[in-house]
Amino acid sequence: MSKATLLSLHQALKRSFQSLEQNQKVWNSVLDECVPLMGSLGNLAEQLLALNNVQMVSTPLNRFPELHERLRFKLLMAVDTVLDKLSEKMCSLQAVRDAVGNQVMAAFQLYEQHAVTSDLTTCLQRSAIAPSVADMLEWLQDADRYYRQQYLRRKTLLQALKPNDLSDLQSAPKRWEALATPDREDIISDTLFRVSLFVDSQ
Amino acid sequence: MSEGEGTMDLKVLPLDLGDVGTQRCRLGPRLMASLGLRIASPVLIAVSGGGGCLCTAWPRSDLAEGYLQADTKCATAGLKATSFKDLSLNPRHVKAACSAKLKGVTVSVVVQSMEVKNHSPAGFIRDLVKDLLRGMYVAGRYVVDVSHVKTQVELILIQDLDPCSGDAGLVTAKTSVNIGEIQTLNSYRSRQQTSSGISLGGLEDVCASLKEMINLPLSYPGTLQKLGLSCPRGVLLIGPPGVGKTMLVRSVAKDVGASLVTIDGPVILGSRPGESEENLRRMFERASEAGREGPCVLFIDEIDSLCPRRTGSCSATQNRLVAQLLTLMDGVGSKEHFVIVGATNQPDTLDPALRRPGRFDREVIMGVPTMKQRKSILDVLTSKMFLSDGVDLVALAGMTTGFVGADLSALCREAALRAILHSSQDSQSHSVEMKHFLEALRKVQPSCLRSSIGLTDFTPITWDQIGGLEDVKLKLKQSIEWPMMFPEAFVRLGLSRPRGVLLYGPPGCAKTTLVKAAASSSRCAFLSVSGAGLFSPFVGDSERALAQLFRQARACAPSILFLDEIDSILGSRSDSRTAHSVQARVLSVLLNELDGVGLKTQERRGAQRPSRQPEGSVEFQQEQQMDYQEVCNNDVMIVAATNRPEALDSALLRPGRLDKIIYVPPPDMEARLAILEVCTKRMPLEPDVCLEELAQQTHLFSGADLENLCKEAALLTLQEEGMDASSIKHKYFMKSLQSMNPSLTAQQIESYQDLFTS
Repeated sequence: MSKATLLSLHQALKRSFQSLEQNQKVWNSVLDECVPLMGSLGNLAEQLLALNNVQMVSTPLNRFPELHERLRFKLLMAVDTVLDKLSEKMCSLQAVRDAVGNQVMAAFQLYEQHAVTSDLTTCLQRSAIAPSVADMLEWLQDADRYYRQQYLRRKTLLQALKPNDLSDLQSAPKRWEALATPDREDIISDTLFRVSLFVDSQ
Repeated sequence: MSEGEGTMDLKVLPLDLGDVGTQRCRLGPRLMASLGLRIASPVLIAVSGGGGCLCTAWPRSDLAEGYLQADTKCATAGLKATSFKDLSLNPRHVKAACSAKLKGVTVSVVVQSMEVKNHSPAGFIRDLVKDLLRGMYVAGRYVVDVSHVKTQVELILIQDLDPCSGDAGLVTAKTSVNIGEIQTLNSYRSRQQTSSGISLGGLEDVCASLKEMINLPLSYPGTLQKLGLSCPRGVLLIGPPGVGKTMLVRSVAKDVGASLVTIDGPVILGSRPGESEENLRRMFERASEAGREGPCVLFIDEIDSLCPRRTGSCSATQNRLVAQLLTLMDGVGSKEHFVIVGATNQPDTLDPALRRPGRFDREVIMGVPTMKQRKSILDVLTSKMFLSDGVDLVALAGMTTGFVGADLSALCREAALRAILHSSQDSQSHSVEMKHFLEALRKVQPSCLRSSIGLTDFTPITWDQIGGLEDVKLKLKQSIEWPMMFPEAFVRLGLSRPRGVLLYGPPGCAKTTLVKAAASSSRCAFLSVSGAGLFSPFVGDSERALAQLFRQARACAPSILFLDEIDSILGSRSDSRTAHSVQARVLSVLLNELDGVGLKTQERRGAQRPSRQPEGSVEFQQEQQMDYQEVCNNDVMIVAATNRPEALDSALLRPGRLDKIIYVPPPDMEARLAILEVCTKRMPLEPDVCLEELAQQTHLFSGADLENLCKEAALLTLQEEGMDASSIKHKYFMKSLQSMNPSLTAQQIESYQDLFTS
């Protein structure tokens, strides 16, 4: 592998890592915004449950006409609003996923192009300032996979929510939390620390 | 790299945790270079068992050679992560695979549950599968395990690739995914297991009828609908413990490819009120869920514990559970393809409401195996054992009367254990020989005879140990031994063995000993009963005990049931004093059992089966021999002994009941000599002892008296000559003879002789 191709590959990798760093911040902030939304979804489910269980006729509120239906309608509207907001958030998560995916794919494509002329040993050389190409490709692939899996899991959770099954809706926040895999998330942070010297070097 | 390293085996190591679910395989960089692999290019790893695994090649992070770690995310169906353990692979088995991008791929999907399959929005599973497969290399007929992502989809079975030229290909965002079949994890697993069948012996007819029931609604749904039939849904298996009811259901379910849902009594029962019913409902729901996908068998083992007869004495909770089971069984719709199979060994304790068409439509009775069935069970059991040539399974089947499948497997295990024990002692071949089976036979007893009141243990006696009485011996042999030894002759002449034999004669004339000898010379099961075992203070208990004894005896037919001192067990109905006594009731039970209308349906055993061996072969002859055996010896033979034949009811003595009446006479001169010879065989006698003279002088002595005489003489010797006496002199015999009186009288003997001759 000539020096020039190695340099261009390094440039592409650098760009990928820079974009990964930015996207990680976006991802985390979007996820943080989702937590209160999921919380309110759970609360609304609980309120709907309570509404189902109460007998309006036997309370002092029975003078208000159609109170039960009105309350129910209001709550369902609120659920819809929350779900709308959540789907917006999912869109931004998808954007992060696609951005990372495209960057990683580009890096791999560049490697594939040059791989015909290069031998494996150059790709495996590690130095004080730069990890080997193989390592960096591996880390990028890991990050890509992490975002894709996380997005898939969260999306299927939201898609599988059944509006008729209130207990299902009620337990959604807990299941949402359980989807997070902090150790995988940490690996991405570790990766970014590892390559920080490489990314900063000119 | 050198040539030597290329052929060095690769050591397979377990996968790093971080690589799980990444489809990576870690190789040494030099191996990668020699195979012409780039980073993340696909490789096919072939495993010696015929399986394979598709991975992407990555260099090891420590760049060491000679190791291989592979993720089995995309592999052939049989390959599991465990089969990669402690394995060495030749580098020849690692090959670069085709890395073309796929236009389309057809898959079938295994999902977590029925709910996902039925209630998912349109396109949901397709999108999910597409997302899951994106960026993966797949190959035709491979299975992609995506359970680690924790979505509703567990496995993706790759069916076809487009273009199908290469062995593998990459799924990209542009690849179209076609979903074929969607099945649940349970049905997928049960389908995978079908190959490993359980072999059953001697249950072909029962097996076929059960299979037919499960298959009928599946194979001909249209026909059944046209005829307006609802298909049968329930089978009740009835049979004594150990005949293989549970095993039969398991094997049939596997053969048909049905999923099996098992209900166990203890698991169902809960402490909370209503919990048991809830559990039961849940099991039925599970079965109907599985039944919507394919055939399903709901198996209720030991159903008698779950569903006993509802009576006042039963607790209310128990009654509620029974009622729940009944309503659930009624509620099974004909659309749901599941069959309920119950198994029990006490059908009489079941609630009668359960045993009607619509619930358990069919009742299949599995009796104690007949000789032929035992032979085929032994064939199956010993098929995996290393037998020496001397093992005669037909003879073994003949010897094991009353053995059920479980007993036979215990017998084989015991024999194999003996063989191992012997071979470790003299370190010869590990084959199991006939002597091992015979030794094991002494240890393993038929389970249907356990806890029977009639089971007796006695030291075997040969005919030679009984002196004299040659014609009596011959008659006994005719009626007991001959049907066993020469069944074909009996069948040829249309003979059947006698139902019962009555031995009568004065006391002490070897009646009991004769029966013992008969039992030990024939290979029948031998049951003996006396008044002590039979009578109990509770009304009706004695009768039930006797009926139970007959049932057990029939279960292990051919068998001999010996009633000693029958006059004390049974009364005579003509005797007005004991009109309604226990004895009279026991007598009526005995008469019924001997010559009743028929057997209970539960006691049915084995069905006729056409011969499959070609005529003239050795197997055919063996089979024919076994056929004769079964025709001839399928019954219980009663042997009774008494010394008061006049006290017996006349109904008992007519032909068809105790039809062979043998008078055991007091020994005559020659017989007495023979008895004396037998008795003194182990005594050192002086040469002057003249047994003929003794025999002449002991007129009216019974066999027991003669034995006593010898004992007395020996004791007298010890008394007179001290403890170190070496032999018995004639005078001691004469002395003890003087002090003894014969126990028989001429008048007594005359009355015996006149009894049946007049």
